[in-house]
Amino acid sequence: MSAGRLWLCIRLPRLAHEALATAAHQAADAAAGCGVDHAVIERHAAIEQAAMERLAAWAYQWSSLVSYRLADGPLLWLELGASRALFGGYGALLAKLTAELTQLGYSHACALAPSPAGAALLTQADEQRCVTTQAQLRLRLEVLPLALLALPPQVLAALHSAGLRHIGQLLALPDAAIARRFGPAVSLYLQRLCGTASDPRPAWRMPAVYRARFEFDAEVRATTALLFPLRRLLLEFQGYLRGRDCAVLRFTLQLEHYRHPASAVTIGMSAPARDAAQLLLLARERLQALALPAPVNALRLQALEFTAASVLQGDFFGSDAQQLQQLQLLLDRLQARLGDQQVRGLALEADHRPERSWRLVAPQQPTAVPDLPAGVRPCSLLQPPRRIEAPAVLLSGPERIESGWWDGGDVTRDYYVARAVDGARLWVFQDLARGEWYLQGLWA
Amino acid sequence: MAYTVHIHSRCVKYIIAMNTPMTLEQLARLCRDAEGSHGPRPAAAPSGFAELDARLPGGGWPVGAIAELMSDAPGIGELSLMVPALSRLAHAGRHIVWIAPPYLPYAPALAQRGLPLERVLLIQTGSLKESLWAMEQALRCPAVGAVLGWPASIVDRNVRRLQLAAAAGGSLGILYRPPEAARESSPAALRLRLHAAPDGLAVEIHKSRGGNAGMTLRLAVASTVLA
Repeated sequence: MSAGRLWLCIRLPRLAHEALATAAHQAADAAAGCGVDHAVIERHAAIEQAAMERLAAWAYQWSSLVSYRLADGPLLWLELGASRALFGGYGALLAKLTAELTQLGYSHACALAPSPAGAALLTQADEQRCVTTQAQLRLRLEVLPLALLALPPQVLAALHSAGLRHIGQLLALPDAAIARRFGPAVSLYLQRLCGTASDPRPAWRMPAVYRARFEFDAEVRATTALLFPLRRLLLEFQGYLRGRDCAVLRFTLQLEHYRHPASAVTIGMSAPARDAAQLLLLARERLQALALPAPVNALRLQALEFTAASVLQGDFFGSDAQQLQQLQLLLDRLQARLGDQQVRGLALEADHRPERSWRLVAPQQPTAVPDLPAGVRPCSLLQPPRRIEAPAVLLSGPERIESGWWDGGDVTRDYYVARAVDGARLWVFQDLARGEWYLQGLWA
Repeated sequence: MAYTVHIHSRCVKYIIAMNTPMTLEQLARLCRDAEGSHGPRPAAAPSGFAELDARLPGGGWPVGAIAELMSDAPGIGELSLMVPALSRLAHAGRHIVWIAPPYLPYAPALAQRGLPLERVLLIQTGSLKESLWAMEQALRCPAVGAVLGWPASIVDRNVRRLQLAAAAGGSLGILYRPPEAARESSPAALRLRLHAAPDGLAVEIHKSRGGNAGMTLRLAVASTVLA
């Protein structure tokens, strides 16, 4: 039964239209009077469905019982009875929720009631759309006009011709009389409306992978024009991640082109993330570096793998952790724009050959620390060593380095510090097997 | 010996109004005082070379600003000059970022000089534009202590941009520039010319905001023997 349950209903009167429109088009539509062409109604139905799926995923962060209906005007329900304590009361919860809806760019009307049908009806009321008990709900419904009831037009006409004007007048009639005169469906609806009959709703199921698609009503030619819809996609994605209490290390953006294979961009992070602003920052770097092969007519976001949201933004306390997080943000930005292989750390290798006694590693990768070489080494390395003439001025040396017989790279070299004519100090060696001289480093 | 004095615009009127001959020292002091009255002295990161620190405002490298090092040639000790300060910053928990260096920073050498490698980042870029962008990002990051860059060329506007980024991140930006750059002016807080010297490195203070310019110091930086 509905005892203890509270339903938030969100009416989204312009869902398909707003899901389709970009910021620029919204302005143009407002000027043109928002007419929706019948030729595109079918396409709109698919767009509406996709938008509602994304919104349901977004809503899951507030409630584990989410349901929606598309026929007769899109409605989204969230059961909040269990969530109230988690979010600091209904006031704070509703404020946060409606602020995000506005940010997502959807027109909306919200109502809170102990029954799903009651909440849906109250979204059409001009005021007092928030009631928390069945008694309050009944009082509130009684004064509202019959026309708000979600009943077929012929039933509403029959009620009207029977002289009824307000819901209260109908509710005052016995259930049996209503069922006899207007049909059992009307009676059941009224009981569900007041929360006295159970009203099971199909619970929306969170998909195991996240796929969202955002279609444009006009082709987009500049990557900058993708940022507005991308921001919305990422806000919805953030809701999904919060709902699952997880984070991502990687997600993919696909830009669909007409008669052209889609462009894909995979955005990876060094630490689990779910903050929409952070994800947008990274995605923007990547998109800006992208040359569009053709105009874009849809944007897809896909995430297949998720990680526990163990260490996340806002979860930090100490300044060390804060610094680590700032560094990760920097690394993510650098890697997003320059590529993973361009952002590296340094590590030592246990090898006597100077060119193999170090290596590039992923940034912040913990590495073993082998013994340092006995002889002092120069700060700059030439990789590979450059063949040179025998140096004229040797300042110190030799340091004999022999190594590598076990892997075929055996070397026997004598290393010296040499001076160049411009005053530079060079780290040079003579390959004793061939007698050739090489420059391998600079005492920079 | 060449002795360069940069005269602050604010002093010029004063010098003209005084209408009396003055010694070079008097002039230098006047200029120093005028520049010093700009505001509080900048924070500084000790260079690890006492003679140099004594000449730098605040006693070290200008934190939150850009220092330009104009080396006559690569391999005369231009990196070794920085390594003590970089090690100190890294031991304080901050990262040292190399942006597109002309030669690889050699990990065993850095480790021998006390620089913790886990705090070193090496960024390769495809263009000057990317280098400047990466440098700005790194300078702005509070987890970064110093950023070293080797821009092939850089205009004043970009130096100023980097300086703002360094100020925002509280980091030290080191720009390695060709010796010809000394002929141009630059908004960098500190500009040094580096010359090869038989016993180490000759450091000429070309410009020092809030300090005095013109003198040359000999520092034993590029040790090729292990201490």
